[in-house]
Amino acid sequence: MCGIAGRILGSFGKLGDDLVELMDAQEHRGADSTGFAIYGAPREDGYILRGMGFDREQMSGDLDEFQLLLKEHGADYIEEPTIITDDQKHYCFRMVISDPRDLTSWITEADHLSDHIEVQSCGRSLEIIKDIGGSKQVADKHGVRDMFGSHGLGHARLATESSVLPNASHPFWARPFPDVAIVHNGQITDYFTWRDRLQRQGYRFLTENDSELIAVWVSDQIKAGLSMEQALKKSIDSIDGVFTYMIADPSGIGFAKDRFAMKPLVVIDQAGDLAAATEEQAVRRIFSGECDVINHDGPGITDFWPAVSGRLAA
Amino acid sequence: MSEVIIEVGDRGIREINREIRVACEAGSKIRVTNTLSRHNLGVGLPKGGEIIFEGSVGYYCGGLNTGATISIERNTGWAVGEGMTDGLITVGGYAGMSAGAAMMGGTIHIKGDSGPRCGVAMKGGHIVVEGKIGYQSGFMAHSGKIIALGGAGASCADALWEGEVWVAGEVESLGVDVDVLEPTAEEVAEVDAVLEPLGLKDTSREWRKMVSGQRLWYFESRDANAWLMI
Repeated sequence: MCGIAGRILGSFGKLGDDLVELMDAQEHRGADSTGFAIYGAPREDGYILRGMGFDREQMSGDLDEFQLLLKEHGADYIEEPTIITDDQKHYCFRMVISDPRDLTSWITEADHLSDHIEVQSCGRSLEIIKDIGGSKQVADKHGVRDMFGSHGLGHARLATESSVLPNASHPFWARPFPDVAIVHNGQITDYFTWRDRLQRQGYRFLTENDSELIAVWVSDQIKAGLSMEQALKKSIDSIDGVFTYMIADPSGIGFAKDRFAMKPLVVIDQAGDLAAATEEQAVRRIFSGECDVINHDGPGITDFWPAVSGRLAA
Repeated sequence: MSEVIIEVGDRGIREINREIRVACEAGSKIRVTNTLSRHNLGVGLPKGGEIIFEGSVGYYCGGLNTGATISIERNTGWAVGEGMTDGLITVGGYAGMSAGAAMMGGTIHIKGDSGPRCGVAMKGGHIVVEGKIGYQSGFMAHSGKIIALGGAGASCADALWEGEVWVAGEVESLGVDVDVLEPTAEEVAEVDAVLEPLGLKDTSREWRKMVSGQRLWYFESRDANAWLMI
């Protein structure tokens, strides 16, 4: 059991606050780790990276190695790394880098360092913040409440299929595609079959978490030229298990639900100002007055909600 | 009789449920306000209690009801009236997944639609849905009746034991091992007797009564392919 949430603001604003509330209301669904994906003001060039290193004693060596690799790929820091630590062994970082010559080949090589330093999001606007602890704990540590954005995702994890590790929490970045993130509530039952198949194609898995599969699977679909909506639909018959997951990109948020109608999703949509969550009491934190609630309870459902930026472009 | 107002807000659910129970025992009518779709409201209420929940409630509202009359103005989350043995629960709007799960007696009256697996594993009592019942409704119902006046979603009456699913209106598809029967006049009269006190009796309905085909009762693993839809 996990809790997921999506939020699209009517206009660019204090997104972090809402996501923290949405996840705080669902903390009883899983409080071992919490994560957020926030789409802030998009950059013209350069990527915002979020990630973590697993031993803060090794931090300066890790970062030197990381920067060296960036330089080999024709990129460098635009903003030096900001480090976030507490009494845990791992450290988290945020940095802004200039565009590598080839993002895919850079991240493929950077993932060779993932036993000690791991990139968890890369995007013009996407930032994934995830860590051990409940919603408020993670939000306080990383200053999530003060983050602005147009839309984003949240996740409260109850680890059922793999260990509690800071990097095994959600959201997952659909590497190597910038600005694509997923959150998932459920279990993927053909995880090992799919993982094996995708690894043979050259994809790398950084965790043992079955939900990471969705991010990698989605990447493979994007690579094959499918749109988000097509990938969502295809996943229902391709992936076995019980799931409700959401994918976000700069244009908005989509979701897919399995064929067995097991995992709920509740939505309040007020002319595009939208909150979606596993439980109705979470979306009520955002919209407390009487309003229409959509329960996506049926089997095999997908939908896509455009973000403000996407609506303007369209 | 006085009406007691109990406010939910962000207070602890145990405290609220204790207050509801105390007011029930004092014979008061109860109105629960500012419910904010929270879970586990009004669980284990006694016979004779009369409770109205304003707005929408979360999971397991009215669960383990032993005879109270509970009314929810709008929607419910999962498993309204789970495990109830007696009483009446009225849902003004939509009832989420697994309404009346494993209930043993009493009646749940849903004015809107109900979500998937309505009446899952129910062992008695009645669930009356004015709208449409969701995917796989009646799944493994042991006994009791689910009565839908506005049709049924896919995989209706899947894998029943001795429960019955009655549908007026369109059925998207049947679940596994379902027999669809023409009900006798006597059986229709029994259903009408359930509907009459709710003001829903209408003799012009064309019913489909769904019961177990009883083949799945004797499941053997070598026949799995005949049953599995995955």
